[in-house]
Amino acid sequence: MSYLSTTDFAEDPAFVDRFRRTMKGDLDLSWLDEPRERVRCRPQNERRGLTFRDLDVGSYGFSEMPELIRQNRSFAPRGATMPPGLPDLQAEVNRKSEVWAYNVEGYYEEAMTRQWNATTDIPWRELAAIDLPEDIGKAYAQLLTFLTEVEMIATDVPAKWMGRLNADFFEVKNFIATQAMDEARHAEIFRKRALSTGWGLMRASAQNEFNLKFLRDADSFAEASLALHLQAEGMVLTLFRFSEYISPTDADKKLFRLVMQDEARHVGYGMQHLKWVLDHFPEKREVIHRHLDEAENFVFGGGYATEVMEPFIILSGKGLKKENIEQGIRITMAFQNKQTDEYFERLAKCGMPERRDRSRLWKMVELGKQAMGVAS
Amino acid sequence: MAVTFPSLEFFQALQKEMRSEKERFSRLGFFDTTFGILVLAENEGRPAEFVLAFEVFDCVDVRAGRDGASTDFVVEGRFAAWREMLDNIHALGAADTAHSLNTLTHFGEGLQVRYDDPDGHDKMYRFAESIQEFLDLSARVDFVYPDGSHPPQARRSAS
Repeated sequence: MSYLSTTDFAEDPAFVDRFRRTMKGDLDLSWLDEPRERVRCRPQNERRGLTFRDLDVGSYGFSEMPELIRQNRSFAPRGATMPPGLPDLQAEVNRKSEVWAYNVEGYYEEAMTRQWNATTDIPWRELAAIDLPEDIGKAYAQLLTFLTEVEMIATDVPAKWMGRLNADFFEVKNFIATQAMDEARHAEIFRKRALSTGWGLMRASAQNEFNLKFLRDADSFAEASLALHLQAEGMVLTLFRFSEYISPTDADKKLFRLVMQDEARHVGYGMQHLKWVLDHFPEKREVIHRHLDEAENFVFGGGYATEVMEPFIILSGKGLKKENIEQGIRITMAFQNKQTDEYFERLAKCGMPERRDRSRLWKMVELGKQAMGVAS
Repeated sequence: MAVTFPSLEFFQALQKEMRSEKERFSRLGFFDTTFGILVLAENEGRPAEFVLAFEVFDCVDVRAGRDGASTDFVVEGRFAAWREMLDNIHALGAADTAHSLNTLTHFGEGLQVRYDDPDGHDKMYRFAESIQEFLDLSARVDFVYPDGSHPPQARRSAS
């Protein structure tokens, strides 16, 4: 126990006396007289139900929330009256622009309605009847091992930050709670699929784990979000789409369509968050660039992870023969180019078109494209 | 009576099929996007263009032509590419590994995705399963191509 009550209630006469009086019917009822803001919240769209946006009214709403949350240091829900004596829970993130995103409440509602179940939504029996050839099966199991590793850290990062945000950022906390659930489900489904291939889990990736450690150990939520939601998940979204493209069975295609939906929603939050930061906290721009410099360094270093790269080549070339490998390399390079193009495209849309000029990753990819004779 | 692909009636038939699957689409979750379908003629003919709007759990609007409609993304391709996809869905009840929308558009080999805003583009993936299941409903639609030919008969019933 790291936190102890300053009172031993069983030995506190005032507490015991009040408790006895209450239980005899002598109620205090002072809470009934709290001056409250009465509001009427109704669904704007009956088919959608009662959403967080419908609750954006008066002191309960988020639109009028100040940039700095100085008053609420406790778990008091936004809009509740705060009696004296509430504890200071020392939230680490109290600045709205460090966490907020345009439409965060919409991403939350979408997440809640688009949840799915890894145990029951995939036709596992159909998959059990399919025996993949050894080279494809092992390559696929290795890809699934890598993805399980990635999704475990993607669960840990939002979960780590959730309790560190001021309680007034209710919608953001709820959104990242759905993200932690999404990522846990992804780790679950990739583990289940790896084991159901019959090849089991293959090799963990040291180089990949350095990258994951960088994601986990960000100094601030804004940096963690930038590296996780926008850079890493943006690239993983392209990877999921590529994985759907190279999936060996219809059921695997469905699996990747389901995970890509969640991932795209997280990327959406990341983009709308970065736009919010740049609009409301422009002095952060240089910090963002510096964080991306290092994030991209790890991305480039990912090339060392042969246990990550080679399964893509084998799966997209559909085998280990020379002609398969050559075809696989062509397709994998096209995927990598697409991955970086889409990443820089998203940054430009968020208000960072200058990123391309500054990025060493962009320069390396462009040089690679020129060497391969690919138009940028 | 058979409708023709591409035509407004074809997409209205898909809209009707979607409405008959309310529970299935509700389970897939909110589906909020507006996207375009562009079918390029094989010769110099005029392309056929449609806009499909989805809101909450429904396809709320289907229209022919863009008419200045704002779209999140447009899926575009030659008639032959669309036909190959629809033939495959009609024969199997749902797209197989080579004919899912993501596979056909991923490298732009069969169909291409056009967009101005990457956030709008990402909606194609945020709602990927809903979009695929919507297109898979074409397995139930009685339709013909402009030359009067039919898609192949179903090899197994649609799920």
